Amino acid sequence: MGLPFFEIKSSRKLENAIFISILLFLFKIIYPSFTSFFGIVINELLIFSVMYFWMLYAIDFIHSKSPAPLSVVLNSGILNALIFFIISLSSSLFSELSDLGSSTNFVYSIFTTFIAFVFIGSVIYIISAFRELFYLRQQRDPSTYFNTMLVFFGLTFVSNLFTRLDPSLDYLKNSFYVVSIVLISFNSLRVAWIAFLVKKQKVYLLIISIVLSILFGFNFALTLESNIVQQLIMNFSPGLHTILNLVMIYGTIYFGVIFFTALFHLPTAEAFDRKAEEVASLMDLSKLITQVFDFKELADTVTAITTKVCNSDSAWLVTHKDGNYELSSINNIGYVEAEKITNSLLVESAYQIDEVRTINDHPIKIRIKTDIRTFNYKSVAIAPLKVHNETNGFLFAARKHNFVFDDDDKKAVGAFADYAAVALENAKHIEESLEKERLEKELDVAREIQYKILPTETPILKNMEISALFVPAFEVGGDYYDFFELRNNKLGFVVADVSGKGISAAFIMAEVKGIFESLAKLIESPKELLITANEILKNSLEKKSFVTAIYGIVDTETGSLNFARVGHTPLLHIHGNRVEQLTPPGIGLGLDFGPNFSNNIVEKEIQLNNDDIVVLYTDGITESLNGSYEEYGYGRFEKTLLENSRKSLIDLSNEVMKSLTVFSQDASQHDDITLVLFKWHFNK
Amino acid sequence: MADFNVNIRGVGSVSVIDLKGYLDAHTAPELENAFNKLLDESQYKVVVNFNDLAYISSAGLGVFMAYVETMRENKGDIKFSNMTESVYNIFDLLGFPILYEFYKDEDDAITKFND
Repeated sequence: MGLPFFEIKSSRKLENAIFISILLFLFKIIYPSFTSFFGIVINELLIFSVMYFWMLYAIDFIHSKSPAPLSVVLNSGILNALIFFIISLSSSLFSELSDLGSSTNFVYSIFTTFIAFVFIGSVIYIISAFRELFYLRQQRDPSTYFNTMLVFFGLTFVSNLFTRLDPSLDYLKNSFYVVSIVLISFNSLRVAWIAFLVKKQKVYLLIISIVLSILFGFNFALTLESNIVQQLIMNFSPGLHTILNLVMIYGTIYFGVIFFTALFHLPTAEAFDRKAEEVASLMDLSKLITQVFDFKELADTVTAITTKVCNSDSAWLVTHKDGNYELSSINNIGYVEAEKITNSLLVESAYQIDEVRTINDHPIKIRIKTDIRTFNYKSVAIAPLKVHNETNGFLFAARKHNFVFDDDDKKAVGAFADYAAVALENAKHIEESLEKERLEKELDVAREIQYKILPTETPILKNMEISALFVPAFEVGGDYYDFFELRNNKLGFVVADVSGKGISAAFIMAEVKGIFESLAKLIESPKELLITANEILKNSLEKKSFVTAIYGIVDTETGSLNFARVGHTPLLHIHGNRVEQLTPPGIGLGLDFGPNFSNNIVEKEIQLNNDDIVVLYTDGITESLNGSYEEYGYGRFEKTLLENSRKSLIDLSNEVMKSLTVFSQDASQHDDITLVLFKWHFNK
Repeated sequence: MADFNVNIRGVGSVSVIDLKGYLDAHTAPELENAFNKLLDESQYKVVVNFNDLAYISSAGLGVFMAYVETMRENKGDIKFSNMTESVYNIFDLLGFPILYEFYKDEDDAITKFND
């Protein structure tokens, strides 16, 4: 049920109200008193409209501020006190007027109108305030009940006219009046909002409501007995007087009901507050879980909330990490203390805490350095942080005094522990995925470095064919090969393997490339070159890193090949149907920086004949694994080389690769594969 | 993922590390932890028993290089024993036998420490 003009804009309501008020004011100035019935009808209708439009505006006004219920109560109380003050003051200052009909002077009109407007304003505000309270915390739209009551207020207002017309019609006014009071009593029962106040507010409301109920009662009585204000209002508008009457009754009943409701709510107020706080905390927590990636921050919130909501003296959270329990957050307790108590309690319960448990009246003895202290906790609640049936930690709440934790407390601690468990799991997943992402980015960088370091093409020579095959592993393996064109038709070459993987291997590779590139032009002996390279690497290589390499020089005119090997796989020399493994002594670069390195390196020279093939490779080939962790091995490699040695170098490389792929099948390639081949073609 | 296992035993004043399975870049940190533990306990005489080790990668080899200097500075050493031929070949190719002592049997290595 909607009231007329209710839907129009708030500013229009104000304009209407002001306009009609001015109209009423002018009317009252011009006709301060009248005797004709018609005059009275106009007068009453004007006043009714003024009240109605001001009410419409007041409802909007109060609602738009959405004030706290207590301040609405207080405001209506203040206006009520104002009415009381005006009535009492005027009746003590002025005696009753004997004849109102003759008092028609201008000053009197202004005074009456002013008083009447103050009363209209107060009554309207109080009705609107009650309406605001009436609508608070209602599940269904209760407007029908309230509007029906307002309609009866209106009917009572208008029925005054009938009484004026014919005193025998008095029963009409009386019956509307009674129905209004019944509706008032009925509507006064809607006080659900009281339940949602916190305890302190309820106590406050209890006091205010009894005072206001009595004050409204006084005012009601004052409007009935004859005094100057009652006379003025009656003279101004009998309808206004009736409404004033009704509002005072409404106030008396309503605040009476509020008083008793608040009174009955008081004993449960604390429990209600706690539940409300618990619900609010859980809501905050679930919001936090999705927003906070930092577990520490969340753990702090959980312990703080646990202390507060569960009414405990302290709370702390331990999480499982690397086989131990470590404190993630403490609230209101010392770090050492919490740690010791945790250990003592967990050891006692043998870590078997599957659900929330309380330990009551149990003194806990702990030793801090040489000082043995006993903590007398009244009650300690322990809740496991469980996700997928796995306990990742425990939430502790402890009370020193007061009462032991009851079932509700246990449930609350359990609920907070569950949230912490989920958050912990989330934080872990996020950290893992960040770490993975970081590693992948790092590997991208490493691969890029490697591609920039390796030669883009192989040298083209008159007497020697060269092919190079490089297959990177997912985690960059650190293989490096290169060719250097030297003076007197000589070609320097290097194949190296840096230990380790990823970006660190890639950086060492870059350094190794720099060393070989510069030394190749300066030193003509492979052995001396490698000794120098080892000395340079001494300053930059980590203790656990090393580099294996073969460095050699081929004379492209004569086919003589001179090389040295440091820790690297053998150089293979295929001639005819034979594969010769050449493994001259030499320890890897970085294994030793003293005389052990230079004393144990031997240079070897071979002579290449027509169709001879030189094979340089890294252990990525021979150490390729298949699904059952079996190595490809040197045997298979040699067999494949021999079977295909008549083919072109490119085909030979492809055959090796094919054989490797067939062998390892679906097992992933875990190291870089490098295969560099030379074939000597003299006089062809 | 292939399995890897480290176990530390004390034999008199010598600590024996038993390795089992596949030692590569992913499992090397476990061996590093074992060495760190020995350093914490000031145990510098170490024999590494390779009897059950199936595979070792360059990262695995690096672990020994990282710790041998500290052991030797403290009058200790890292000695190797019970290597299968394939694992020994990897060490051999790199030149480890010039820098480290290899023994057929764990007891020989321990006896060498006690001499």
